[in-house]
Amino acid sequence: MTRRFDPYPHVLRLPLILWQGAFFVIPLIFMAAMSFWLVKNYKLEPNFVFDNWTRMLGRGAFWDAYWITLWRAVLAGIIASAIAFPAALFMAFRLSEGGRRFALLCLIVPFFTSFLVRAYAWQVILAESGPVNAVLGGVGLVPYTMLNSGFGAMVGYLTLVLPLVVIFQTWSLAAIDRNLIEAAGNLGATPLRVLGSVIIPAAKTGLVLGAVFAFIMTFGDFVSPFYLGGSKPPTLTILIIDTTKSGQQWPRAAVVAVVMIATLFAVASAALRAAYGRRG
Amino acid sequence: MTDPLVQFRAVHKSFGSYVAVKSLDLDIQRGEFLALMGPSGCGKTTTLRMLAGLEAPTSGTISIGGRVMNNVPPHQRDTPMVWQSLALFPFLSVVENVEFGLRMRGIAAAERRERAMMWLGRMDLQGFETRRIDQLSGGQRQRVALARSLVTEPEMLLLDEPLSALDAHLVIRMQGVLTRLQKDLGITFVYVTHSQSEAFAMADRVVIMGHGAIEQIGRPQEIFRGPKTRFVAEFVGRNNILAGPVKAGVMTTAQGPVPVLSGDGPMEIVVAADRVTLSRDRPAGAAIRAAFLSEEFAGTGIICYFETPDGAEWKAQVTETQLAELHPESGQDFWLSWDPARVHVMG
Repeated sequence: MTRRFDPYPHVLRLPLILWQGAFFVIPLIFMAAMSFWLVKNYKLEPNFVFDNWTRMLGRGAFWDAYWITLWRAVLAGIIASAIAFPAALFMAFRLSEGGRRFALLCLIVPFFTSFLVRAYAWQVILAESGPVNAVLGGVGLVPYTMLNSGFGAMVGYLTLVLPLVVIFQTWSLAAIDRNLIEAAGNLGATPLRVLGSVIIPAAKTGLVLGAVFAFIMTFGDFVSPFYLGGSKPPTLTILIIDTTKSGQQWPRAAVVAVVMIATLFAVASAALRAAYGRRG
Repeated sequence: MTDPLVQFRAVHKSFGSYVAVKSLDLDIQRGEFLALMGPSGCGKTTTLRMLAGLEAPTSGTISIGGRVMNNVPPHQRDTPMVWQSLALFPFLSVVENVEFGLRMRGIAAAERRERAMMWLGRMDLQGFETRRIDQLSGGQRQRVALARSLVTEPEMLLLDEPLSALDAHLVIRMQGVLTRLQKDLGITFVYVTHSQSEAFAMADRVVIMGHGAIEQIGRPQEIFRGPKTRFVAEFVGRNNILAGPVKAGVMTTAQGPVPVLSGDGPMEIVVAADRVTLSRDRPAGAAIRAAFLSEEFAGTGIICYFETPDGAEWKAQVTETQLAELHPESGQDFWLSWDPARVHVMG
């Protein structure tokens, strides 16, 4: 039998390849190339020098921003996963099919408004004279500064990522074969041990993916650290803004961006190995 | 007989308005192989799940070893179960699956590994301990599931249609494995199935359930030859049923008058398919007339299907030689006769 060339799957694949090429691979290559360019008299000049790299990576301020961004992204991934888990457990195991659909819809509704608008809403709520502090003052506590701090930024990050993490976790928990849960109890596992030795391992992929999603979105978020975190300490995203504003240093901003993308690739691939990896 | 291991007393279970099990009374003896058999929706699986604590009875009591278990959660019972889907943990290796029950009981790592390995050996699975579940064949998974349930040395093993997903030749082999295992261990097996051949081949006693209630309990032979109700007669085996009033040794049926040996008033009799004789001409004695429909090869013989003039289905078991001699054609009329001394009277 001769194998005929079947164009059908290739044609179906084409839009995705074109899209990824035009809007991801080519800009990425361009950006990486630009990190070797120079700026003279506020104008970009194609070149191939390591000047931008040595200057950026040689700065303490860059590494401060790098570590604070990484730390916040890890923290947001952990906190979001921890807060989301009880909600996801409830949605996956206590709600009916219809109730779960409604709850998932409610989790999508926040995305109907721009994240920027939601961040502004938090500015009002968390302000020195806002409702939260009014309640704190009412019970005799001193007003607490929540805006322009790491706390404010974290509120923003969680606003951004929490609904998605809940959705990821709910899907993976709802997909667990109920017989496995019953079998664990049948073999003597208390409800708490069923959770630890069956539910979490069985839902591992979704739990890891949820946390990685939170990490990726937090790592690249500019709105939360800027509008709620007060830009202090600066994150890598704020560093990019500052660099482009001061003297049109697009090539140095490109250095920051390339480092960010490399970090995301490393973390995402390690996490995917952890999520899908099997032993034995 | 000694105290039964399990006692169901007036057990009732409903899911909303749906009644799954009603007024169930059942004793299960120590060391017996009991099969719960019936069509889907008859309540057999619900009965098993109540025994494991996976469902709570709506009313009535279930006791195990003399202790009322109604409010005992599954993890505090010693009622391991083999699931139809096997429910093996895909994220654990073979030996970790087998160890699971011991780990939950806080047995030290070295001892539980040793006991798990012993069971893997017993199940002919040595060398497979580090495999993943999806690297095993259906029969191997079956044996892992058995090892996992038996490693804690329970008094009773519950099995929920464990062979229904296996190929036919493996089913026969696993039946042998299960009966030998049950005899060797001397523990109670409670086996839920809709398959008559599985239940009759393995069980000491068979419980036939229909519509949430027990229809008949007995040894396989008793149920096969002596069904007590029409439901059992129709569900079990290849039985033909005749009903009608009896007067002076003659039963008036929809298929015509039929001689019977005894009885008076309304009666139902069962004529097993392997006790029916076929002929073209009317024989003397008990016989009815029916049109040939089709035949089915059934291993031990051939089952011929007939339709009586009033639309009832009759079955007759013949040998290949007999079939060749008769050479029946579809729609052709035959006489189906039997020895009145060898019918079973229901009730």
